[in-house]
Amino acid sequence: MTVTVELAGEGSHEVDAAGKTYADLLAPFDVSKHEVSVLVDGRPVPEDQAVDSDVERVEVVRLIQGG
Amino acid sequence: MESGESKGSTGAVDYPAVMECDKCPSEAVMHAAYSGLHMCEEHFCASVEKRVRSRVREDNLLPDDATVEDPETWVIGLSGGKDSVVLTQILHDTFAKDPRVELIALSIHEGIDEYRDKSLEACEELTDDLDVRHETVSYAEEFGVEMDDVVEEDPNNMAACAYCGVFRRDILSTYAEEFGADKLLTGHNLDDEAETALMNFFEGDIRKMSQQFDSSIGPFEGADASRTRGESDDFIPRAKPLRDIPEKEVALYAHLQDLPAHMTECPHADEAFRGEVQELLYELEERHPGTRHSIMSGYEELAGLASAEYRDGTPDLDECDNCGSPTTGEFCRKCDLLETLEAV
Repeated sequence: MTVTVELAGEGSHEVDAAGKTYADLLAPFDVSKHEVSVLVDGRPVPEDQAVDSDVERVEVVRLIQGG
Repeated sequence: MESGESKGSTGAVDYPAVMECDKCPSEAVMHAAYSGLHMCEEHFCASVEKRVRSRVREDNLLPDDATVEDPETWVIGLSGGKDSVVLTQILHDTFAKDPRVELIALSIHEGIDEYRDKSLEACEELTDDLDVRHETVSYAEEFGVEMDDVVEEDPNNMAACAYCGVFRRDILSTYAEEFGADKLLTGHNLDDEAETALMNFFEGDIRKMSQQFDSSIGPFEGADASRTRGESDDFIPRAKPLRDIPEKEVALYAHLQDLPAHMTECPHADEAFRGEVQELLYELEERHPGTRHSIMSGYEELAGLASAEYRDGTPDLDECDNCGSPTTGEFCRKCDLLETLEAV
């Protein structure tokens, strides 16, 4: 079960998502879950939720500091 | 896979496939590890709004003597970023029909090409939608400088934010006073405030904690709190109604409410020490959920104690010989910086 995880504007990784949560998908990136939002089909998902077997692509958006 | 069904077939960790909201059967969109709650869009947004309103109430931002005839004027520092946009939206939703409160949004153009032009478009869109009075002031008009040039010249060998913060605070104070503001509200979130608290600890600056209590985080007189902030005629009092909301939740609220927040980082942003503290806080929050809330709870109590100790010993402020702003020296910090820039 491979998922494409894209950190917006910073690249993407193919990740084996079997038995993993959305938080686990952040491992290839140097980010904390407190500084990103994880989106599936544009909708935010809880990071402790298991990656659904139907999901092929996950978008990770880094928070913008300030403002 | 149905809601609640486990992924046992993987042979790995047995996580639920879809998390439900802890308050209703809807699908959760977020998990707050510090509270253990999963929340759907509706309950999450209601929770953010409730926490902001609780903070407004607990800090007694709206005193009993505010009336229809003599309303409170609150100036909101509106940059167009997620924090100030969310603050403006929630305050509008809360007080639009309350004649005791008048909101004015104040935006600043620092002279950062493209970046600020786009964020000001977001400010215009929001304030037009909400029918909130909106004023914009620029560094160029006020001081004859633009941040893009300041960064190039940098006569004091400082980070861009060090110049910009001084200029921004000056404009916010000056125009809040000009607009007759009773309070100046900014969109600082929980992460911002916990970082500032830790930075003050690491710098050993107890007096700064005391000043912060009296200027921006202490409850106002009349609040049901053991300590309230000291009164000052020198500055418009500040308040930070978003300071209980983690930065990530402010961003999520803006996303879910489809607010016109400008989502680009300032090209000159470079606060090295704050960045280190931020990394530390992320790691602590990951291992010990609730750390940011605990830091702020203790910090507010300590700052209140420090305020009681230092308040009487605070030196009287004079007027800057150049611009008349309150200062402990001959010239205020803004005028000092502008003089060094003129000398380049």
